[in-house]
Amino acid sequence: MEFQFKNGRIRFNRDLSELDLFVRKFVDALDSCGIRYVVISGYVPILFGRSRETEDVDVFIESVTAGTFEQLWNRLASDFECINSANASDAFKHYLNEHLALRFAYRGAFIPNMEVKFPKRELDQYTLENRLEVILNGKPLYISNLELQIAFKLYLGSEKDLEDALHLWPLVKGHLDYEKLKRHAGQLNVLERLKDLE
Amino acid sequence: MNDLPRIDLTELDADKKENIRQRREFIRKYVEWLKKTPNSVWSVQQNKLLSRPKPTV
Repeated sequence: MEFQFKNGRIRFNRDLSELDLFVRKFVDALDSCGIRYVVISGYVPILFGRSRETEDVDVFIESVTAGTFEQLWNRLASDFECINSANASDAFKHYLNEHLALRFAYRGAFIPNMEVKFPKRELDQYTLENRLEVILNGKPLYISNLELQIAFKLYLGSEKDLEDALHLWPLVKGHLDYEKLKRHAGQLNVLERLKDLE
Repeated sequence: MNDLPRIDLTELDADKKENIRQRREFIRKYVEWLKKTPNSVWSVQQNKLLSRPKPTV
């Protein structure tokens, strides 16, 4: 695997899957509406070559106004539909504002879907504010910083999550701020699992 | 009921642990392979897995 980790940014080129193109199309819509986002969880190890599928791609978007969200809704409408809400007003009021996830899939499809939320906790806001820029085939994509991502996978603790952490760690450990990873692991009470990972 | 199989939970738990150990071993080996394999090779293989047709509604 060839990637450049420089100035807090990862750059690499590779063959793109349908899942990558699906994510790309969705984040292009976010970018075109000027909405900051961070992709978290299962897609991150997949981005780095993990050999598993996922049904949903989790993303936090910044807490925008109803007007900006409606602009996004309309921008998405040509390719995506929302699985769990019929219109922008309902989606904003009864889902995003209530910190519930909206799910967007390609029209007529159910999976994969983008699971979109506003940040709820301070940790969510931290994730958004400390996102990591990945330049994939020349285009930027923002993901959770890897120190937090690995610690959080250890915290979630299902076999799939632990495998995700086990996948990411050897690939990126030479580029991580290990003290920061340890602090996150300490906060999440998973220092023992971090030791096992090493 | 006597038509049910005998289940030894201790044995099953041991099998489960062994499966987890083998899965983790596979991931370690896979990542070692990833690290030394060009992106143009591994990403094509990953694509074959990820780009299979998905069910529609």
